Amino acid sequence: MSSEGARKLIVFCIALGVSIGITATTGFAGPKEGKAIFEKQNCGKCHQTQGPAKEKTFEDQMKKKGPELWYAGDKFRKEWLEEWLANPTIIRHLKYNSITEKSKGGHPSLSNAQAKDVAAYLLTLKSGAVKEGVVKEKSSPRAKLNFKKKYGCIGCHTIKKGKKKKIGGVTGPDLSEAGKRLKGDWVYMYLKKPKLFKPIKRMPVFAGIINDAEMKALAGFVASQGRKKK
Amino acid sequence: MKKRALLLAFSFLLLFVFTGGYQVWATMAKENYDWYCTQCHGLKGTGDGPNSRPSKYDIKQPDMSVTPRNHRSAEDMNKLSDEDMRLAIKDGGKAVSKSALMPPFGKTLTDKEIEDLVKYLRKLCNCKGK
Repeated sequence: MSSEGARKLIVFCIALGVSIGITATTGFAGPKEGKAIFEKQNCGKCHQTQGPAKEKTFEDQMKKKGPELWYAGDKFRKEWLEEWLANPTIIRHLKYNSITEKSKGGHPSLSNAQAKDVAAYLLTLKSGAVKEGVVKEKSSPRAKLNFKKKYGCIGCHTIKKGKKKKIGGVTGPDLSEAGKRLKGDWVYMYLKKPKLFKPIKRMPVFAGIINDAEMKALAGFVASQGRKKK
Repeated sequence: MKKRALLLAFSFLLLFVFTGGYQVWATMAKENYDWYCTQCHGLKGTGDGPNSRPSKYDIKQPDMSVTPRNHRSAEDMNKLSDEDMRLAIKDGGKAVSKSALMPPFGKTLTDKEIEDLVKYLRKLCNCKGK
C-alpha cells in the first residue's frame, strides 16, 4: 500500500471510530431508527403521519385520538420535541377533542435515546407549505394587545401573566411556553391557511379577518412565549 | 271519501316536509353550537363553559374576566335583537360594543349557519328579543 493509501485508511478509521463513539455516547441513530420506534410503539394509532388532512365533519375530527403529526417538522422545535418525548407534559388543559374532561396526562414516554431518534423522524415530516424565516419570533406590545384585547385569543388560550401566574382560556392548547415548543413560521401559516393543517377545529378561522402584518406579529408573539428575550 | 283520503295524505306530506326541514336546521345549528359556542357559553348555554369557569373543571386558572352570556336567560337575551346576535356571531363581540373575547365566526360559519344559530339561540332562551 502506498503511503497516500495508508494515510487515507487511517483517516477513514479515525472518522469511523469518532462516529461510532458519538453514536455510542448519545445513542442517537437517526430518523430511520426513529420511524421504526414510532411504528413499533404503535404511535400511529393516535397520530396521523401522512398528509394531507382529510377531515370533513366534526365526526371525522372526533374519531382522531391525538394531534396529527404529518407536519411536525414545520411545527415543533427540535430541543423541545426531544425533551417532551422523553418527559411528556400536559399541553392541553382538557383531554384531546373534549371540552368537558380535564386532561390527566399519561402520554407514553420514551428513553432519551429513543426520544432523539423519534424526534429526528418527526422533524422530517413537513407539509411543504411553511416557508422558514418569515416570522420574527419576538413579542411586541401591539401583538400582545391584539392577542388579549383585539382578537380575543386569550379567551381560549393560556399565557403567563408575570413569571408564575397563568391567565386565559383552556379549550385551546396552553401557549404559556409556546415559544419553546412552536416555530413562529408554522404559527403564521396555521393562522393564514388553517384548513390546510386542520380543516375541522374549534378555533374560528381568522384568515381574512386579521391582516398579514398583524398575523405575522401574532405568530411572533406566540413563538416568543416562555422564551428568554434575545 | 277519496278526496278526504287524498287531503289527509297531503297533510301528512306537508307535516313531514315541515318537521323534517325544521329538524335539519335545528340539528345542524345544535351541532355548531355544541362544537364552537359551548367552549365559553357552556354545554347547556348557561355561560359557564370551560373557558369561562376553568375551576369548574378542576383547572387552576382564574375565571374569564367577562362572563359569557347566559343563552338560557330570557331576561338577558331579550336585550338583544336578532340582528345584534347575527352581528356578534359574524363579526365578534366588538361589533356590538361587547367583549372581544367573543371572536368573529364570519369566516368559519356560512351566513345560513349563522342565521340558524340565531334561531337556535331563540329556542334556548325561549324568547323573541327586542
